[in-house]
Amino acid sequence: MARAARIAFLAPRFAEGATVGGAETLLRRLAEHAAAGGREVTFLTTCARDHFSWANAVPAGRRRVGSLDVHFFPVDEDRDIAGFLRVQNLICAGARVSRADERAWLRNSVNSRALYRHLETEGGGYDRIVAGPYLFGITGSAARICPDRTLLVPCLHDEAFARLDIMRELFHTVRGTIFNSEPERELAERLYGALPGRVSVVGMGLDSLTGGDPGAFARRQGIAGPYLAYSGRREPLKGTPLLQDYLELFRARTGRDLKLVLTGSGEIAPAPHVIDLGFVEEAVKHEVMAGAVAFCHPSVNESFGIVLMEAWLNGTPALVHAGGSVLPYHCRRSGGGLWFRCYPEFEAELSILLENTALRDRMGAAGRSYVQAEYSWEAVERRLFAALDAD
Amino acid sequence: MATPAIQIGATGVDAARLVREIQDSVAARLQAGDFADPRLAQAERHNLPFLQNDEAFLDYYLQCLREAVTVDINDFEIRERRGRLAPLLVAFKRTIWKLLKFYTYRLWSQQNQVNGLLLAATEELDRKYRDRLQALEARIARLEAERSRET
Repeated sequence: MARAARIAFLAPRFAEGATVGGAETLLRRLAEHAAAGGREVTFLTTCARDHFSWANAVPAGRRRVGSLDVHFFPVDEDRDIAGFLRVQNLICAGARVSRADERAWLRNSVNSRALYRHLETEGGGYDRIVAGPYLFGITGSAARICPDRTLLVPCLHDEAFARLDIMRELFHTVRGTIFNSEPERELAERLYGALPGRVSVVGMGLDSLTGGDPGAFARRQGIAGPYLAYSGRREPLKGTPLLQDYLELFRARTGRDLKLVLTGSGEIAPAPHVIDLGFVEEAVKHEVMAGAVAFCHPSVNESFGIVLMEAWLNGTPALVHAGGSVLPYHCRRSGGGLWFRCYPEFEAELSILLENTALRDRMGAAGRSYVQAEYSWEAVERRLFAALDAD
Repeated sequence: MATPAIQIGATGVDAARLVREIQDSVAARLQAGDFADPRLAQAERHNLPFLQNDEAFLDYYLQCLREAVTVDINDFEIRERRGRLAPLLVAFKRTIWKLLKFYTYRLWSQQNQVNGLLLAATEELDRKYRDRLQALEARIARLEAERSRET
């Protein structure tokens, strides 16, 4: 097994400031730990910040960000957005689209000819190119330029885009695939059959936390009663409208004054019991999580669940949607959370957590032990380096 | 005696078992009508795409729709947040509601008919496709058995 010394990480956006998509954060953290492990790491990305407009927002060029040498390349501005949306809407509606349409959709997704030129001329100098997530044109195109060096970090979800023929081709083109969890790997094998090359499950490491004060946030905000916490983007795919509907009904049916505290970006319907903090510093997010009666993660489209792990590190039990495979998998293995399929189960489980402090503490502790054992950076680095160095 | 899923002093929690126990208890409560609440259909609207492959969920959702099929025509609490004028505005709105309530009867009775027809059609579609799937599955099993006998 030869050591992969020079490694390029590639993501459509660089996780910095408020740009905190899960996949981008994952790739940045893996890159930083590869660099700390003595590898020569370059991060290839675009100048975009916003994943809807893909407008070039930061200057092109090279910049040192912490331990990383980051190359920002401009996004191609000649995208046919109308054509892209036409095909995307068809795909989302479950329609079967032609191969030509699939290719046009990817071509009009986020792309950077400047980045591709860099890979064509300099790609041979990298021992590995770790690229993701699977959904974007830039990942697919980069993988096609240097397939024998590319390790795909797909962050795969069970969604219509995953069923496209071009995605099957992508998974069968690359040197290997790095998954975030076992259910994600199983999903890929269900969709694309046995994958060629080296298949690894790595995940993301989490820094251990020093025990914060679980009551600090509630005291500062003047919240007297219990609250649920949610962190991340607020959008239908993440299940936040479902969470709001469920919580409203829970309050109405049980008469309990349970609040919902949210951190992250995106719109949320205002209500007196909803406390929207927006984008906050990590320390505040952890305080919110630590003081919550439970951390609710109603998304069914997760390949890892970073915020779930963070909630567990704060000793808070989780309540997740059973419709996805990854979050219930973590809850089942750790004993740190419960999963619900429908409102009656949500009501029953939340009531049990509210009424049983001993159970809450025990589940929070079980979650924390699980993260410390499985997703400490030491454990993740071991798996990551094995994946990078595999022949 | 069965061991409980939560044991104080034990090292962890058997979450799968706890969830199973909760699911069993919820199933019994559903049977007993504890969740016969028209508000559930509204709360579950975002859950449909998440569980579209779960047949049990569709049964449950149809049950929610049955509870919610009739329009709520009860009087409702009229609120007003505009400070000092609030009592006056509330009294005005109450009067308007009393006057106009009669005219809504025809609307809600028609709406109830439409809701009932749509629900019946959905249930019929569900039944029809289930029967058809069962027939196809039985046919596949029969053909596979015949083929294995031939080879």
